[in-house]
Amino acid sequence: MSAQLAALVSSHLSDRRRSLLAWGLPIGLMSAFIVAIFPSVEDSVSKVVEKYPAGLKEAFGIGQLSDVEQYLHAEMLSLIVPLALGYLAVRAVASGLAGAAESGRLDVLLSAPVSRRRLCAAGFLATAVELAAVLAISLLLTMLGSALAGAGLDAGRAAAGFAGVWPLALLFAGLGVIACAWSLRTSVVTGAVAGVLVAMYVVDLIGRLDPSFDWLRYASVFKYYGNAIEDGIEPIAFAGVTVAACALAAIGAWLFDRRDISA
Amino acid sequence: MTAIEVEGLTKFYGRHRGIEDVTFAVAPGEVFGFLGPNGAGKTTTIRALLDLHHPTSGSARIFGLDSRRDSVAIRARLGNLPGDFGFGRQASGREALRLLARLRGIDGLGRAEALAERFQADLDRPLGQLSRGNRQKVGLILATFHEPELLIFDEPTSGLDPLMQEEFLALVDEERGRGCTVFVSSHDLDEVQRICDRVGMVREGRLIAVERMVDLLGKARRKVSVQLAETSSLDDLRALPGVSELVVSDGRAGFEVAGDLDQVLKALATHHVTDIEAVHPSLEEVFLGYYREEGGEG
Repeated sequence: MSAQLAALVSSHLSDRRRSLLAWGLPIGLMSAFIVAIFPSVEDSVSKVVEKYPAGLKEAFGIGQLSDVEQYLHAEMLSLIVPLALGYLAVRAVASGLAGAAESGRLDVLLSAPVSRRRLCAAGFLATAVELAAVLAISLLLTMLGSALAGAGLDAGRAAAGFAGVWPLALLFAGLGVIACAWSLRTSVVTGAVAGVLVAMYVVDLIGRLDPSFDWLRYASVFKYYGNAIEDGIEPIAFAGVTVAACALAAIGAWLFDRRDISA
Repeated sequence: MTAIEVEGLTKFYGRHRGIEDVTFAVAPGEVFGFLGPNGAGKTTTIRALLDLHHPTSGSARIFGLDSRRDSVAIRARLGNLPGDFGFGRQASGREALRLLARLRGIDGLGRAEALAERFQADLDRPLGQLSRGNRQKVGLILATFHEPELLIFDEPTSGLDPLMQEEFLALVDEERGRGCTVFVSSHDLDEVQRICDRVGMVREGRLIAVERMVDLLGKARRKVSVQLAETSSLDDLRALPGVSELVVSDGRAGFEVAGDLDQVLKALATHHVTDIEAVHPSLEEVFLGYYREEGGEG
């Protein structure tokens, strides 16, 4: 990594240091709570879930809730964590580009011998690190909750579950870079990409609920998300989504290079 | 080689004109003022020079390098203070300086500490907690700490108190002394008058004049007031070319003179003059005169 890129990434992370805790703590504490209560709700939850329609269970990725890992997936990793981290990814990348334009910081940075592409790369890389850090904090707190409550959460499976969220969220960081090439207003970028995030989730859900719409799921990154806590990380999907995220960021950087920079 | 060479620079935002066919050159070591009211196109020109805005047509070259293609290489050699300086609310001036130093490949903070002491700038408080003027001081330090070959200032003294404005003018003088080229966009005419070698005037996106400061002020009409010992209609004065707006009342005459004063003084020498006052026009009057002429008013 070049010295300039390292300087920009560390500056971006320093600016976002509060967000690591602001996002990692609540997600981690909520996951820890879910894991901690599992031993006391295990029987009743299993009975309730057995009565759910098969299609609904399939749609929300709920299998047999016979172990804490499946319960963690159903309650946190199937919906809340991917949506939250996807949103965080857009916020983070938008703060480094659109937010910097709004605050005047971009004008100052682009007075230095730094290319716009490098700025985009730094924002994207810093977001990748931030996402990993938030997921790591969440995992640690979840494991702590499991240890305190004696829930017996498997560390390897839990790590795979949280790690599986990373490429999915990163894809929205890539889309965020493209959105910043279109608008330098944080609210517009965040709103637009958050809309795509929700739309992709809904499209995937429709495809799961009604097999005749299964083809729709190819338009959604959630199709490739899977259930890593149960099935382990699918390397091709993980790598494929990561490469797609990087490709989107590269396209965004190319477009960003061609736009006017105005506050 | 010129420091800045702008040729037919044009920028349209859709159908809205930013600047049109702007052409000028700035010599190395020159302090060049870029004058015009808000919205005239000063900032658009600067943003095109810095490759923040891409021109619709025309070109700009800095140190002989193309402002679009060689933008990164150009920016290694310049310092820029944007019109509305900001760096986010959380970062302190020192953090901003450290980042800029790393991006420029500079070990340490160069002369930043000395400049901070000189401008009484607080480098340790978050910029969001500083007043506009104090933020501006940090912006000035960020633009100048690495001793660039070219300084671009957009409304540099905005928000600064009079003492700091004086300090800024002294700094520009020192920068010129070490051979730095300075491009100042401003509508503070007094400031421009004091530091600039030449000025360009921009109006509604077009450059209407580029003049040496001394020529500009020399061309302007001086206001002369004369007290005579006797009553006279001063018809001999009225007949002189360049004299206008002559009003005589109770032995006191007021008039305006364009160009050389020699003929006026010779004409006055035939009268008993007890007092005379010639007021050099301010740049503001010159500037407004230009605008009236170019705008077809008055």
